[in-house]
Amino acid sequence: MVHPLRETAAVSGIGETAYTRGTPKSGLALQLEASLAAIADAGLSPRDIDGVVPYFPGGGIAEDFIANLGLPDLKLSLFVPMGGATCVAAIQSAAMAVASGVCNHVLIAVGRTGYSGARVSTRLQQFPQFALAAEFEAPIGMFAPAQLYAQGARRHMALYGTTTRHFAEVAVVTRQHAILNGNVVMNKPLTVEEHHASRMISDPFRLFDCSLESDGGAAVIVSRTDRARDLRKPLVTIMGVAEGHPESPASIAQRPDLLEFGLAKAAPRAYDMAGVGPRDIDVAEIYDCFTFTVINQLELLGFCKKGEGGPFVMDGRIGLGGELPINTHGGLLSQGHVVGLNHVIELTRQLRREAGRAQVKDAEVGLVTGYGDMGDGSIAILRRAA
Amino acid sequence: MSTTPVAAPTSERPLPIPTRESQPYWDGMREGRLMLQHCAGCGKVRHYPRPVCPHCFSMESTFKKAPTGGTIHTWTVCHHPFNFFFKASAPYIVALVDMDAGVRVNAPLRGVNEADLKIGKRVRLDFEPVNKEVTLPFFVSD
Ligand SMILES: [Zn+2]
Repeated sequence: MVHPLRETAAVSGIGETAYTRGTPKSGLALQLEASLAAIADAGLSPRDIDGVVPYFPGGGIAEDFIANLGLPDLKLSLFVPMGGATCVAAIQSAAMAVASGVCNHVLIAVGRTGYSGARVSTRLQQFPQFALAAEFEAPIGMFAPAQLYAQGARRHMALYGTTTRHFAEVAVVTRQHAILNGNVVMNKPLTVEEHHASRMISDPFRLFDCSLESDGGAAVIVSRTDRARDLRKPLVTIMGVAEGHPESPASIAQRPDLLEFGLAKAAPRAYDMAGVGPRDIDVAEIYDCFTFTVINQLELLGFCKKGEGGPFVMDGRIGLGGELPINTHGGLLSQGHVVGLNHVIELTRQLRREAGRAQVKDAEVGLVTGYGDMGDGSIAILRRAA
Repeated sequence: MSTTPVAAPTSERPLPIPTRESQPYWDGMREGRLMLQHCAGCGKVRHYPRPVCPHCFSMESTFKKAPTGGTIHTWTVCHHPFNFFFKASAPYIVALVDMDAGVRVNAPLRGVNEADLKIGKRVRLDFEPVNKEVTLPFFVSD
């Protein structure tokens, strides 16, 4: 039986601000600027938006969207508290809202001053889901995601022989893609040697294994497919979408397998809903808070077996023209950190064939993941339906 | 899960704010004992402390003294001090340890060279008082 959510919703509008290091704008202003761009891209009026899912914390809340965009009748206001998995998980929530008829057009929006505002070590503690880490791990010197995820990376290396050369490949290829995109923070080439020489953050992660701190806003509109069909841009439908939550969700330390997280549950469900498998994916935008996180997710997504993610990324496989081009916009590692909503935007561009110099030829089906909050996962599989 | 607000960041040492669930664990630390929560219904141990047993849903539990030995599950070496308090001690090793008691503990590992780190290495938990109320765990080679 075809899943009732399959292709009943579409990504109808995308918008983003410049990604920078330093801005005079507030997180809310960035979020609204991106929202207006997404609304214009769809060919809608702000008055058409009847659901909002703001990323929290960082920008505004539903009240700000009503007050600034003059929304006449907002029917749904949601937070999805999943850290880096939020944006893609929000697509599931938005798809449910439009498929059920509660809403017509749901706006998902991020505004962030990650560079000019509060830094990572302070943000961590704003989340109630990090209370355990704050109580048991921060006092012993384990504070930031870079430290907490480094232990998983080190175990993967010990068990499977994964190396920092594999990590470097993800960083270097992602940078090559960023250089093709005009709107990025990091626009100079990166070599393997420069990666290996960058300063150690938390072993095995060096500086160029870590995503950027940047300022920017991004927004996406999810509409019911029958309404999106008549809008401005080529139709991109949501074939499959899912979120997943790992065991011991608030503490990586207590998780039975550090290398199995929410995506392990979400990916099979999304493939099932979409009626496709890893072999059908033409392009993948993988949440890249760290280089290793990409390698780990490629395994959980079924592109290779557990433990084989390191060798998988080598030999041009994940670059443009390769078997599975990933992060064709430069990702969080090189483009900017808007919690992965830029990954959704890029996948939509690829399927609309608007990706310019980074266009994957004949891209028909692609996937995007989210990963965050100590291991929550999310995935959406989109299709060019125009 | 506690939603106790955590103080704004400073260069001061981050310290645990015990909850009603975790107080016996921190009391044990202060007394130089690893105290772990055991379900009164099914007897299973759980960590970090919380109100309900996820196996049998009993809300009754007792804290029992646990052995302090274990083996390294994985580790990291922290170089960048995300909190300035740790700048003086960086780089420092943090080992995630499979305790013989059946839970994991994450704590600094002292007196061991980075080159000697490996999964399965035996370590032992020790206790470091940082003030009158708070004692924190650390590991040494066993
Ligand atoms: Zn029990």
